[in-house]
Amino acid sequence: MEPAAPVLVAGFPLALDRRYHAETHMWVLATEPGRVRIGMDAVGIETSGTLAQLSFVPVGSELAAGQPFGQLEAAKFVGPLVSPVSGVVAEVNDEVVADAGLAARDPYGAGWLIEASLGDAAAELPGLLADPAEITAWFAAKVAHYRLEGVIAQ
Amino acid sequence: MAEPLRVIDFGCCPPLRSQTLWHAIGYGVSAGAPATLSFVRPAAPYVCVGYHRRIDEVDRDYCRANGLPVLRRMVGGGPVYLDADQLLFQICLPAGAVSPVRWQALRRLLEPAVAAFHAVGAPAVLDADSEICLGEAKVCGHGAGQIGGAVVVCGNLIEHFDHEQATRVLALADPAQRDLTLALMRRFVAATPVDPVAFQAAAVAAYAAALGRTARPGELGDVEHVALAALDERFVRDSWLAGPYRPVPRSDAGPVARQVKVRAGVWTFGATHEGAQVAAAVAQGTVLEARLRDPGLDGLAGQAERALVGIPLRSVGEVLAGFGDPGRRLAAAFAAADPGRL
Repeated sequence: MEPAAPVLVAGFPLALDRRYHAETHMWVLATEPGRVRIGMDAVGIETSGTLAQLSFVPVGSELAAGQPFGQLEAAKFVGPLVSPVSGVVAEVNDEVVADAGLAARDPYGAGWLIEASLGDAAAELPGLLADPAEITAWFAAKVAHYRLEGVIAQ
Repeated sequence: MAEPLRVIDFGCCPPLRSQTLWHAIGYGVSAGAPATLSFVRPAAPYVCVGYHRRIDEVDRDYCRANGLPVLRRMVGGGPVYLDADQLLFQICLPAGAVSPVRWQALRRLLEPAVAAFHAVGAPAVLDADSEICLGEAKVCGHGAGQIGGAVVVCGNLIEHFDHEQATRVLALADPAQRDLTLALMRRFVAATPVDPVAFQAAAVAAYAAALGRTARPGELGDVEHVALAALDERFVRDSWLAGPYRPVPRSDAGPVARQVKVRAGVWTFGATHEGAQVAAAVAQGTVLEARLRDPGLDGLAGQAERALVGIPLRSVGEVLAGFGDPGRRLAAAFAAADPGRL
């Protein structure tokens, strides 16, 4: 299934065909039953700074919601990428490891980070924003907050 | 009463410990130890690569032959040469105590270091790229990262800088790129020959004031001693030194440049394409100097090199178009340069 085209919200693209973790700006898109693709939304990328490197735990590693599944380096700062779900790493995106800028250029498409197999998809996905109206409101509020804080340009 | 800022001066330590000691503090602060400012001076020279960097950026044969250990740290940045003429400092705080926005946290935790430079008579500035500079030269290397639940930002007071060794330890196949890298190092990385004791005292005062804490001498706790033992083992493992997984570049992806960042916005690269070979020094997107080789240039290399000085990198192809097929090959090699990969 082709992902839906992102819409523009508060000046940033936002894909409404997936779920979001409000704190980490990670998105989760079901690709088949029991399997999801994970990436970072455009505002999460923007506030990280210019991405220099991305690295992930190996395929087959256990994922725990709230725990790191890799590292992101921007401005010489190495910080954890926090998983929004529990499961097992099924695939990592070699393209984005080779070219971290891809995550910024196409955050909802080719810039995905990893895919995960979920033991029980229905049980692992609560806690994520799922309703498009709710997602849009959350995203717009986040952008407004970051602009107020001077984190991103007006 | 203000919360404490633990201050630990580790003194002069072997290369391994000059890294693992402050990494251990990251785990201690994660487990509830107070925010900590630490200092350490390497007892012997070594090379340290950032968490994500390829180990083959370092000339390991040269390092081995010259007794230089190579270590991988958990914070960011490129390969650096460290020795006893550098006082390393590290500020470590619970992650929740700093902005979740990485560049904001980094700048906030570098500003007291700038104040310390001022206090010892070096009017350094924190530039827009978060480099601590005096004029056009970087005077303080830095790296940052999250270790467990703690954020650490590290830097150094460079009392004397061995530009030759800092360049020599890098794996650079092209002697022309090595020459250009050394020239940029000499111009854009500078020492601050001040009293390190005064700098250290100024840094303690500046960090305590900036964080609203009271500086108190301290030492490692039990959690940190356990972490230190584990780090001492981890940092010498080949699997750790190899770094995180990186895919092998695609063979059909065209020429790949060997790039060396000297400071933000200042870098060299070397690349080849169909027998053409380029090495160039770049500052703020403009060619400072280029070295060109192509069998078809027929004595025009010097002319082409002069024509590129001061040219924006994006316009190099237009200039080289005037040099026929060799120019086309050289332009293709230039196209491999990618500041986004620095």
